[in-house]
Amino acid sequence: MMFAAAAAALIVAIFLGLIRAYLGPTIYDRILAGNMIGTMTVILIAVHGFLAGRPEFLDIALVYALINFIGTIAILKYFRFKDLGHAGTDKGREEVEDDA
Amino acid sequence: MDMIFDILSWFFILAGSAFVLIGAIGVIRLPEVFTRSHAAGMVDTFGTALILLGLMFQAGGFNLVLVKLVMIGFFLFFTSPVSSHALVRAALADGAKPLAEDGSNLEGAYKEKGEK
Amino acid sequence: MLDILDIALLFFMAVTAISILRLKNLFAVVMLGGIYSLLSALIFVNLDAVDVAFTEAAVGAGISTVLMLGTLALTSREEKQEKKPSHKIWLPLMVCIATGAALVYGTLDMPRYGDPNAPIHKHVAPRYINDSMDEVGMPNIVTSVLASYRGFDTLGETTVVFTAVVGVLILLTGRRRRDKREPTLEELEEQEEEV
Repeated sequence: MMFAAAAAALIVAIFLGLIRAYLGPTIYDRILAGNMIGTMTVILIAVHGFLAGRPEFLDIALVYALINFIGTIAILKYFRFKDLGHAGTDKGREEVEDDA
Repeated sequence: MDMIFDILSWFFILAGSAFVLIGAIGVIRLPEVFTRSHAAGMVDTFGTALILLGLMFQAGGFNLVLVKLVMIGFFLFFTSPVSSHALVRAALADGAKPLAEDGSNLEGAYKEKGEK
Repeated sequence: MLDILDIALLFFMAVTAISILRLKNLFAVVMLGGIYSLLSALIFVNLDAVDVAFTEAAVGAGISTVLMLGTLALTSREEKQEKKPSHKIWLPLMVCIATGAALVYGTLDMPRYGDPNAPIHKHVAPRYINDSMDEVGMPNIVTSVLASYRGFDTLGETTVVFTAVVGVLILLTGRRRRDKREPTLEELEEQEEEV
């Protein structure tokens, strides 16, 4: 029962995040919403394992936690340097500090 | 003993769910990306940590399930602040201004490139 | 509860798909595509297809989002506005409805979910389970099916993936070479200033 409560809360929260991802208005709001939905997906998979009585499926939640992080960092790197092939070295860091 | 674990589970899972819901409402209601990032950070850290803690009491002793839950919590604990920081830093570098106290930057302070 | 989860997730997927149709900003479309992948992976977990959910997590939410962003770096970020649709909507609508009706009609004959007498459990599965150890010699049945019984199928899939990777590499390296020229000019100026 407690797992069902957590799953319901997570489903509602995912829906709210979906609304934010649709509304925008900036790209960063959308990345934020996508990242939040990813985190809640990890927790929902973990809760689902207990809800279905099979906590062995936690492996996939583990993989998700890592993929979500890598995906978010890749997207942010694309927006910072406009290119995924950029090395992101000291030159890039100076640019950031100059802009700020 | 099971009774105590159940009560603790209920407490942590309900508290975590409350944090998740409040954070999600914050992401909808707050005015701009920095304040929204604060709300999302609450979901990422407190909400997930409390729910995982509640699940740990239901793992049934020291076994692989408990270890996996601890590892999920460990990864999220380190990765979500990093991605939040990277997000806010990228937004700041892209010209987004944090909201002034009198709400002067409420609208039109920053826009997507190509969107006018 | 699991049924309710399924219904809620399918509803979210429909909402996401309609949002993707309505948005003009292509970056938002990519982000919503990633969210769509996350939701569909949740449905796969709910259907106990954990291996498919693994793939969906890695490919759908991870790699394809990054590849789409790499494509957006080379093209426009906004969808081109079409003043008038160049075709009538009725013909595509009819085709969609006819195809959908045929698919729904096809599901009527399907065996019950998890039925042990379904054709999929009667056809080759018993042979794989009983004889694969003698015929191939691999302890893992899935590996022997993929690498031996369906070896040509796997070869074809690998060719497709290889071709896709080659195409992506060609696109991305062409981009990087152009970027390299600009810093060299700046570096030259910096060197001049230092002198």
